[in-house]
Amino acid sequence: MKLNIEGLLVYFPYDYIYPEQYSYMLELKRTLDAKGHGVLEMPSGTGKTISLLSLIVAYQRAFPLEVTKLIYCSRTVPEIEKVVEELRKLMEFYSKETGETNNFLALALSSRKNLCIHPEVSSLRFGKEVDGKCHSLTASYIRAQRHSNPNQPVCRFYEEFDAVGRQVPLPAGIYNLDDLKDFGRRKGWCPYYLARYAILHANIVVYSYHYLLDPKIADLVSKELAKKSVVVFDEAHNIDNVCIDSMSVNITRRTLDRCQNNVDTLQNTIQKIKETDAAKLREEYRRLVDGLKEASVARETDIYLSNPVLPDEILQEAVPGTIRTAEHFVGFLRRFLEYLKSRLRVQHVVQESTPQFLKDIFDKVCIDRKPLRFCAERLQSLLRTLEIADIADFSAVTLISNFATLVSTYSQGFTIIIEPFEDRTPTIANPVLHFSCMDPSIAIKPVFQRFQSVVITSGTLSPLDIYPRILDFRPVTMASFTMTLARTCLCPLIVGRGNDQVALSSKFETREDFAVIRNYGNLLLEMSAVVPDGIVAFFTSYVYMENIVASWYEQGILENIQRNKLIFIETQDAAETSMALEKYQEACENGRGAILLSVARGKVSEGIDFVHHFGRAVIMFGVPYVYTQSRILKARLEYLRDQFQIRENDFLTFDAMRHAAQCVGRAIRGKTDYGLMIFADKRYARADKRGKLPRWIQEHITDGSLNLTVDETVQLSKHFLRQMAQPFRQEDQLGLSLLTLEQLQSEEMLKKITQIAHQT
Amino acid sequence: MASLSEEVLLVVKKVRQRKQDGTLYLMAERIAWGPEGKDRFTVSHLYADIRCQKISPDGKSKIQLQLVLHTGESTTFHFANESSALKDRDAAKELLQQLLPKFKKKANKELEEKNRMLQEDPVLFQLYKDLVVSQVISAEEFWANRLGGINNTDPGLCDNKQEVGISGAFLADIRPQTDGCNGLRYNLTADIIESIFRTYPAVKQKYSENVPHNLTEKEFWTRFFQSHYFHRDRINTGTQDIFSECAKQDDKGLKSMVSQGVKNPLVDLLSNPDVTVKDSSNSAIIKRFNHHSAMVLAAGSLDQASETSSTDGNSRDSDFFQPPVKKVRLQEAIEYEDLQRENGPKTVALNLKKADRYAHGPVPLQSQQYTTSQDIINSVNYIQHEMANYKPNLTQVLSSTSASSAIAALSPGGVLMQAGAQQAINQMVPPEVQGELKHLYAAAGELLRHFWACFPVNTPFLEEKVMKMKSNLERFQMTKLRPFQDKIQRQYLSTNLTGHLEEMLQTAYSKFHIWQTRRMMRKT
Repeated sequence: MKLNIEGLLVYFPYDYIYPEQYSYMLELKRTLDAKGHGVLEMPSGTGKTISLLSLIVAYQRAFPLEVTKLIYCSRTVPEIEKVVEELRKLMEFYSKETGETNNFLALALSSRKNLCIHPEVSSLRFGKEVDGKCHSLTASYIRAQRHSNPNQPVCRFYEEFDAVGRQVPLPAGIYNLDDLKDFGRRKGWCPYYLARYAILHANIVVYSYHYLLDPKIADLVSKELAKKSVVVFDEAHNIDNVCIDSMSVNITRRTLDRCQNNVDTLQNTIQKIKETDAAKLREEYRRLVDGLKEASVARETDIYLSNPVLPDEILQEAVPGTIRTAEHFVGFLRRFLEYLKSRLRVQHVVQESTPQFLKDIFDKVCIDRKPLRFCAERLQSLLRTLEIADIADFSAVTLISNFATLVSTYSQGFTIIIEPFEDRTPTIANPVLHFSCMDPSIAIKPVFQRFQSVVITSGTLSPLDIYPRILDFRPVTMASFTMTLARTCLCPLIVGRGNDQVALSSKFETREDFAVIRNYGNLLLEMSAVVPDGIVAFFTSYVYMENIVASWYEQGILENIQRNKLIFIETQDAAETSMALEKYQEACENGRGAILLSVARGKVSEGIDFVHHFGRAVIMFGVPYVYTQSRILKARLEYLRDQFQIRENDFLTFDAMRHAAQCVGRAIRGKTDYGLMIFADKRYARADKRGKLPRWIQEHITDGSLNLTVDETVQLSKHFLRQMAQPFRQEDQLGLSLLTLEQLQSEEMLKKITQIAHQT
Repeated sequence: MASLSEEVLLVVKKVRQRKQDGTLYLMAERIAWGPEGKDRFTVSHLYADIRCQKISPDGKSKIQLQLVLHTGESTTFHFANESSALKDRDAAKELLQQLLPKFKKKANKELEEKNRMLQEDPVLFQLYKDLVVSQVISAEEFWANRLGGINNTDPGLCDNKQEVGISGAFLADIRPQTDGCNGLRYNLTADIIESIFRTYPAVKQKYSENVPHNLTEKEFWTRFFQSHYFHRDRINTGTQDIFSECAKQDDKGLKSMVSQGVKNPLVDLLSNPDVTVKDSSNSAIIKRFNHHSAMVLAAGSLDQASETSSTDGNSRDSDFFQPPVKKVRLQEAIEYEDLQRENGPKTVALNLKKADRYAHGPVPLQSQQYTTSQDIINSVNYIQHEMANYKPNLTQVLSSTSASSAIAALSPGGVLMQAGAQQAINQMVPPEVQGELKHLYAAAGELLRHFWACFPVNTPFLEEKVMKMKSNLERFQMTKLRPFQDKIQRQYLSTNLTGHLEEMLQTAYSKFHIWQTRRMMRKT
């Protein structure tokens, strides 16, 4: 249908529309009009992505000079591919309606592992291996060597692309990852570099968060994207953690050992080159004197990871003299390494700020701040000069040099914690140096500054106001949308007690309590007898799940559950979990029914949807608080309190509840879907916890569903499931939660729609 | 000895049955026993008839083997050879153990079928009670021409029988019982053993390796239950555990399953960067559960598994197979069915007033031309249209007064209905007598059907049968009909009630006599 969103003609590729989609588009349009940033929360399964795409594409067509590009960031590869497919649908609708082929170019970009078509390289299993191998075939000096030595292996796809691929722009169309690979195969071009080149002139780019947020990658990939772009972060409820992770460094003793090896290798290589080709080193020295900028007229393939510091901090000066020659630099690295080793030899926990660290390093080994800042760039230059092909081996020394650069650049928002052992195993020495970022706004700041509109959206962003605070930006719109429902297809229940009136809670004091564990087991057992097909259960942490599973096993609860359903359990191994997941789905498909035991904050809770019969009930055992004894967390909480006036408890609860909401939200993937959401912890009944759930879940928690016993829960579930099993047709929804164009245009409905958006 | 073309699998001498010495024969399809010195079997059971075998406990002085039949009867053999009684018994037991399951399925299916028919059809059940239980005719005769029909009508049902899956909790069902003196007893059935084998092929392999050369079956299972493998605890008890290898093999199996990867790209978590894995004490249990569930699932769909693994091999080394699956999955994932206009033929919602009538409704015997729901809607519309425009054609119809007088005349008590006395039967006779009469009619009908089915008598078998049938009829008359006639006489009811029955029987007898005299004449 064609919609009129405040004067903008929007093509929407469906015959019907949900009212909240309309409302969402309204808010989005206002954000774009104001050229500002926005925070929008809309329940999962209400067609968020298609609404976003429809509106922004329409906007781009209407105002081609205002918005030139849409950068859509999602989290996982399947998500990225889904977005592109929705976009394809939209574009097909456009060409059907307008009758002309439009010249839109949209493409997905992912890592080499997902795009490589080189037969040998693409068969490698891990991303790092693929990157390293690719580098060893495409680095500029390798290709230069080929001129003298034709036997030198190179990647023919890259050669082909380099020779002709750049002259011809990618023809307009929608390119998913597989389409890029197909295209690459047909033409004999490298899809990865083709995509990286094509994003510069594409209208829509879909890629992972890291390409914008991780400075090491962002500088490489996204540096030249136009300012007049709209950036969308989908599934952004975890964006602060992504920001923090991209700026943090952890150094263990193993890292240092491997780093030592790297430095030795460097030393030897320098020695060798000195004997054979001293001119090369002299040449490098000369370039470094001229200044770093000129020194790095690097080819795209040479840079493995760029400087971890953010674009605006890029150094304009020449590399300081102390590390200009190769030997000096290696010596410098050695000294730095020795210093780190000595720091790791501590017997007690040390926590210090970056200036303290810098002062200490100056006092102890006379390393100045300035050469440290250039460490990362200098290392890149050296690796290039030495023509080291297998960059993947040098990840340890790269990490250390990144750390050096970061620690000397930022004086605020970071902390250094050295722990001699893990808290759980105080007898085993395992020293770790955490260089941890506490301020997510550091990583995301350049994004907000650079692009005219940044939209943060997800199914679970409540409470909305916390995101602008921790990410330090000023949004023009903040809205939370509810799900209009013709039948209440979600049933949140809070189980607070067992049948024996024992309070159910995962809090630390009662965590090991047998009565609680048994009651949790009973809950799962009873539900397994009542709920059809799939049940997903989430635990607060992996360790907790392991303990519970073990004691359920000993008590024979699992055996009894097996009478009703098969049991699959998430493990820490991704491949094993993938298999368990697939088998789980198979068991749901063939009618046997299954239970998946999983972990909040785990891979399953973040990336996998349990549509329809794959998840008829989600049980959240306990409140998924982050491990509060961690010093990194404590430091971060302190920082939040001092800088943003956010109380520790508020943040912890917020964090726990967003993960809980994320977990239970996995079950509802649309209005025809239905599912039980069982919160098995009495603490959920408290107003401060409940109040932090997204509005679309909160609405359905009645006073009658607080603090239930297991039996009551089973009764309510039975009732709910029986109701939901009745046929549900389109006509039932029409006019309430599903609108035709005529219904949408009626005065009354428009009034209703304004109430859907909940402004804060 | 009886001349036999059957293959004799095992002969055991010195076996007593009912205090009589004799020899036990195990043949391909039946087990038989004949007393010493005689050349015929006094006991002979088809394997299909045997429900189970029981053996005397080890400590007992008498070494016996009991066969329990489906009919509930049982036969006990006593192995009397002093030196090798135990060995003989075990040999017989083992062989039976192998043979019985082969026949069991067939027998079970037939039995189930018979049982189902009796349950579903109360008339048949009554008939069965009247004729078989009171031993008027034997069960075989009763079923002879009933089951045949069934087996012929739906051969498809019998041919591709569905593979039965495994219960997820079969291990939980093996509950140990204390035997009173510090021991545990596990009861294993053939089903459980099969489940174990299907779920854990490693155990099956061990079984075929070790039984019977190294271990007896009993020892094998004893060790299995004692093993660390079964208990899955973290405490390793026995070092001599033959199952420790199984655990390794299971691990390997799990690994290979994992390395096969997943076909659905949407559940593939590997596309995200990896985290380090650390093992903990309980991870073994977790792995175990994943493996167990996967195996149980796989056992339920063996054919499918082989099929998918073959395609999987393809998709692994080339991408050519992957995109379609992926495309489909992605399309499914982004679809909003309620946002789209429904297209496809309009369907009629089923409105059931009596659900059970729907479930047991008449089944068409021959395939029919099915009509689409659109056709049905059209024809319903058409009929509605027709009905709306219907005008009765009243020229050739009786006038209403003559019609009502005709109805009155034909109603009970009307002019035309006075002659018949039978119509009053439901008023004259108490209901229990009526019921009994009905049963008698049914039984007599059944017997007569058997009787008349023998004509024309042209084979010796039929001859024998017709003789038997006649005696059956006579027996029926004596044991069933006579008492009934006495009873109604005692109640001073008209004996006329059974007149028709007698008449039918007499007709049968006279037919029989004619046939017999003819036969005599032919013989003489």
